[in-house]
Amino acid sequence: MDHFDTAIALSRVLTSGVIMSIERNDRELPALERLLRKVSGRTQVVLVNSATAGLHSALAGLRLGHGDEVVAPALPDAHRRFLDWLGVRVREDGTPAFAYVSPTPADVDRLGPLLTTTAGAPAVVLDLTGLGFGPAAAVLFDDEDAWRRAERLKIFGTFDLRTMWTQAETDEGVGGVQFNYRLSPLVAACVRMALTTQGARA
Amino acid sequence: MNTDFPKAPLPLPRAEDVTEELAALEGPPVIPAGLRRTLFPVITKEDVFKMLLSTRVDPAKVVADFAEAYREYVGAAHALPTASGTSSLHLALVGAGVRPGDEVVVPAFTFIATAQAVVAAGAIPVFADIEPDTYCLDPAAAERAVTERTRAIMPVHVHGLPADLTALRAVADRHGLALVEDASHAHSATFDGRVAGSLGDAAGQSLMADKNFPVGGEGGIAFFATADAHARAVEYLERHGIDYGMSWIVAAFGASQLERLPYYDEIRARNAARLAEVLGETGLFSAPHVPEGRTHAYNMYRIGLHPDAVGLGDLPVHAVKEVVHELLVAEGVPAREWQNTPIPCHIPFRRREGFGGGYPFSLNPAAARDYAPEDFPVTLSMLSSTLVLCRELRSPVEYERLERYGHAFAKVARRPDAIRKLVGGREFPLPHAKAARLG
Ligand SMILES: Cc1ncc(COP(=O)(O)O)c(C=O)c1O
Repeated sequence: MDHFDTAIALSRVLTSGVIMSIERNDRELPALERLLRKVSGRTQVVLVNSATAGLHSALAGLRLGHGDEVVAPALPDAHRRFLDWLGVRVREDGTPAFAYVSPTPADVDRLGPLLTTTAGAPAVVLDLTGLGFGPAAAVLFDDEDAWRRAERLKIFGTFDLRTMWTQAETDEGVGGVQFNYRLSPLVAACVRMALTTQGARA
Repeated sequence: MNTDFPKAPLPLPRAEDVTEELAALEGPPVIPAGLRRTLFPVITKEDVFKMLLSTRVDPAKVVADFAEAYREYVGAAHALPTASGTSSLHLALVGAGVRPGDEVVVPAFTFIATAQAVVAAGAIPVFADIEPDTYCLDPAAAERAVTERTRAIMPVHVHGLPADLTALRAVADRHGLALVEDASHAHSATFDGRVAGSLGDAAGQSLMADKNFPVGGEGGIAFFATADAHARAVEYLERHGIDYGMSWIVAAFGASQLERLPYYDEIRARNAARLAEVLGETGLFSAPHVPEGRTHAYNMYRIGLHPDAVGLGDLPVHAVKEVVHELLVAEGVPAREWQNTPIPCHIPFRRREGFGGGYPFSLNPAAARDYAPEDFPVTLSMLSSTLVLCRELRSPVEYERLERYGHAFAKVARRPDAIRKLVGGREFPLPHAKAARLG
């Protein structure tokens, strides 16, 4: 990563005064979501604070939980252990339920082509930790309901903490365990900087 | 430049503000629209400079240095920085020895994350009522909730006031339980001179940027009294492949904020004391109660309403509260309910789907209870009769703004006639009859 670009991105967000993910005025998380939608061609993006949060959110989006089986793609061993912790059994045969992509800084200018290989997967876990700004990930969907379930897992069941703090009886995906998987806008700004200044485009 | 620097200063307060017509009745608001925003956190050149320096440092060292500096400040034996307060609570429970199927006693009034962290640890939250004066877990109620499957008690230092740790420790000792603090509201708060986070067998604490001690967006920290407890949490993360790591960017911001935390604590305490003076003269409102031997961090400031003191004792208190809330908001005071429903009555604890298929509730069906709001009368009474200020007392709130908040409370309290009129003829559902609010 280029230190000057990182410094500019961080200074810009600090100057804006908005560093909280649940701040209505935050522009950094929506901007990264927009970029990832553009690069991936997917319609829905969930930003989270680690690859394991990404795996959990992807499964929640796909309605897979404790006691279910999943055909998982090739995953690092730690991620396999995480699925086991979630109580989700991994099967080897068949078409993976989601794709997993873990780019390094050297991959950022070919992120578009990399993501092309995931076409057709109902969900993509994009581990952004390798870019160097700390644990970060995105989950990509085309299905709005899947996106909503994943968003709810990450922010205590509220559909959108930026605007709304209530849980309604009719909401799907608010009856279970919920986490704080929210990503910091400062981290999101750096990830976006790395993806744009180094040439990753649709 | 996209900056949070204020566009215009707030005019100095005037004594006449208090006697003018209520804003809700077309009078001038005490705090004019356009001048109501409270900036938080305070981001200074020190934060920017420290952040820039950190881009050249090994990321693991930035996080470790931050955690060590804050651990020392708190006086806890061991620390583990995390990505959120929720994850820190999960690890605090694991470190304290909580295992799947165990029961953990938690207060019915807190943020939902306290109870969800118990579920994350594979345990079952068992809810107990709070004390009427501190709003923290009632030690007697906690003791009544203990069974032979209880492993820990997790009090919350609600709004920044430490729970009664002497009594809770005694309960824990009597039953051989771990005491785990949720110190998410209580940065720098003290109990018998010791800082919250260092008092339990373990503690979790949110450091997200709307807390008194903010890191760079989202973060948390777990504290442990013993090396064993710390090692248990570290081993758990490794064994289960869970990434709860804090970003170096988040930590770098925390490192520079930590140096100014005592300054901000002092301003908040001063603002809280000043507002208490003003509220004390209104009759209608009362300031938070702080028992001897404790300091309150005032992450939130819960104000009691006493309709009887202004001749409104015949009206339902929740109706008075709702009208007063509307009047205050119209004056430019962003008062909030901050919760309207006991946590056990929120959907996740009624449906109890957990991780799926009802896990972990299925491990211990006897502990997975259906609670009714009426099981928690003290919580309900608090929800019906109090309002909350959140950021409004924190630095950089200027003296003129603080005085204006005081004026707004005084102005509303002078008008029982208007409150009575506005209550009349309207339906007021109880707070918990509405959709559950998280904050
Ligand atoms: C009492 C309490 N516990 C836990 C949490 C969870 O912290 P976080 O949002 O950092 O996960 C909060 C948060 O906001 C809280 O108020």
